[in-house]
Amino acid sequence: MNGMNKKVNVTPLFFIGPHVILFAVFILLPTIYGMYASFTQWNLVGDPVWVGLDNYKTILFNTDSTFHYQFFNGMKNTFIFVGLSVPLLIAIPLLIAVALEHKKVKMKSFFQSILYIPGLISISAAALIWSLIFNKQLGVVSNVFGSEPVWASTQPYAWITIIAITIWGGIGGNMIIYRASINGVSKDLYESAEIDGAGSIRKFWNITLPSIRFPLIYTFVMTTAGCFNVFGQPLMMTNGGPQQSTTVLMMYIRQLAFSHGQSIAGMASAMAVLLGLVILVVSALQYYLMNRNAT
Amino acid sequence: MSKKISISKYLAYIFLILLCFIWAIPLVFGIATSFRSQTEVVSTGFRLLPVNWIVDNYVSILDNTSTAPILRWLMNSLFIATTHTFLVIVVISITGYGYSRLKFKGRDTLFFTLLGISFFPGVVNLIPSYKIIDALGWVNTAWAMIVPGLAGMGNIFLVRQFMKGIPKELDESARVDGASEFKIYYSVILPLIKPVLIVCGLFSFTGSWNDFLWPVIVYTDVDKMPVTAGLLLLQDIYGNYRMIGQLMGSAILAIIPTLLLFLFAQKYFVQSINLNAGIKG
Repeated sequence: MNGMNKKVNVTPLFFIGPHVILFAVFILLPTIYGMYASFTQWNLVGDPVWVGLDNYKTILFNTDSTFHYQFFNGMKNTFIFVGLSVPLLIAIPLLIAVALEHKKVKMKSFFQSILYIPGLISISAAALIWSLIFNKQLGVVSNVFGSEPVWASTQPYAWITIIAITIWGGIGGNMIIYRASINGVSKDLYESAEIDGAGSIRKFWNITLPSIRFPLIYTFVMTTAGCFNVFGQPLMMTNGGPQQSTTVLMMYIRQLAFSHGQSIAGMASAMAVLLGLVILVVSALQYYLMNRNAT
Repeated sequence: MSKKISISKYLAYIFLILLCFIWAIPLVFGIATSFRSQTEVVSTGFRLLPVNWIVDNYVSILDNTSTAPILRWLMNSLFIATTHTFLVIVVISITGYGYSRLKFKGRDTLFFTLLGISFFPGVVNLIPSYKIIDALGWVNTAWAMIVPGLAGMGNIFLVRQFMKGIPKELDESARVDGASEFKIYYSVILPLIKPVLIVCGLFSFTGSWNDFLWPVIVYTDVDKMPVTAGLLLLQDIYGNYRMIGQLMGSAILAIIPTLLLFLFAQKYFVQSINLNAGIKG
């Protein structure tokens, strides 16, 4: 009996085993090790040396330390990025989806393709193109709109360049999710609202929005979590400037752990764990608030 | 009544056309500039379209095989993205089958435990991941970008969800006929989950092709890196817009493969409607 049981259990091992191994090696192990490393002094080469809560104390409370400054400056800039980009990454795709799902609008896939294509472009290629748009001598912004400052190195324009490239390349996924969701809303609801004399705006607020509540929560949480990991846009567009005012936390983390010279991977890991905790808390809060408000 | 509808129709059209216009400008401007000579750029300054269309920029980009071997980078990216996508499809279909079709103790507990762990932000495992890749001897090799992404749970979740929508009677009748689990997976289920696999494949390909942070960390060898990491070097090599045509040309070359893939596979993007139904449930 025991032997037979074993025989039956080989099949699941074959189907699930390989992925469980991959998961253990490339997600579970590094996540645990990353948390462990945050309590150590580590140069990535030798063995980590346990220092307890020292890294966290330095980052959070030692106001003389550069790490303290880097963490809070990076966190502040990351929050600015999240605050500016997330509302736009939700609202613009939602408006596009509503416009595309209008029953009288034609050429839907043409419009959708144009708006989706920038999302297929890697940040490094996109940044080269957008730097040209914002280039003082050659660009659209200065020559068409007569703007004076050098955008990448003057605030608030430095943020505008970063947000512009983010929105340009970031709306595609949410647009498709919203379109699909709106498409799935029962047509009867709209028809009975029309009989009651509801206009387009009222139909949007009273029918469309409540009906796509789940995709809205889902995209809101996912988009926010994604934006907290921002790295490529500020690196490529402003390199963190002017005066580190667009240097986000991921840039400091990478710089501490991987730049030339001695690696400070323990400190970087502690910053990463703190960022991870912030992301978890914000996601949970969003989920909780949106679920409660909606019901 | 009908008047009301037509007003909102025109509003929708105006919004979409305006947006598409804004969205298209950077690409058009970038493509056009890649066909302008540097002297023209310097002397005439801002122009949307070139005075003289030239291909010299592309010729010199392709000639530079030492400091900026862009063809090499493109081939590296193509190899990485294709291999990664193929393996993703194999892994998620087999694993998804295991989690939705096989019966064994603790199956759902295991699935949701792994899913829960994978929600923990990836930033924490970034630094140790580098260490693991280093220990495996994969730094500066394609495997550094091909393998770690196979561990993700997101696509497996989608595949499992999609498989739940396929009637159990299909595989049960095959099982009665004496087919092995692998046979059922391969000849009954695999053909039916093609839509979800194609969508996951497209996302994996573009995700791998466009990944930026990870390749910037794991590649230092100019000959081994993918095109996204390579383009970061270009700002130094063709820097400060002294060779603006080359910069734009390189960016355009890097876009072409994903663009072609999108144009060929466009109709499958509509299939994500099915996925969404899965997410909802």
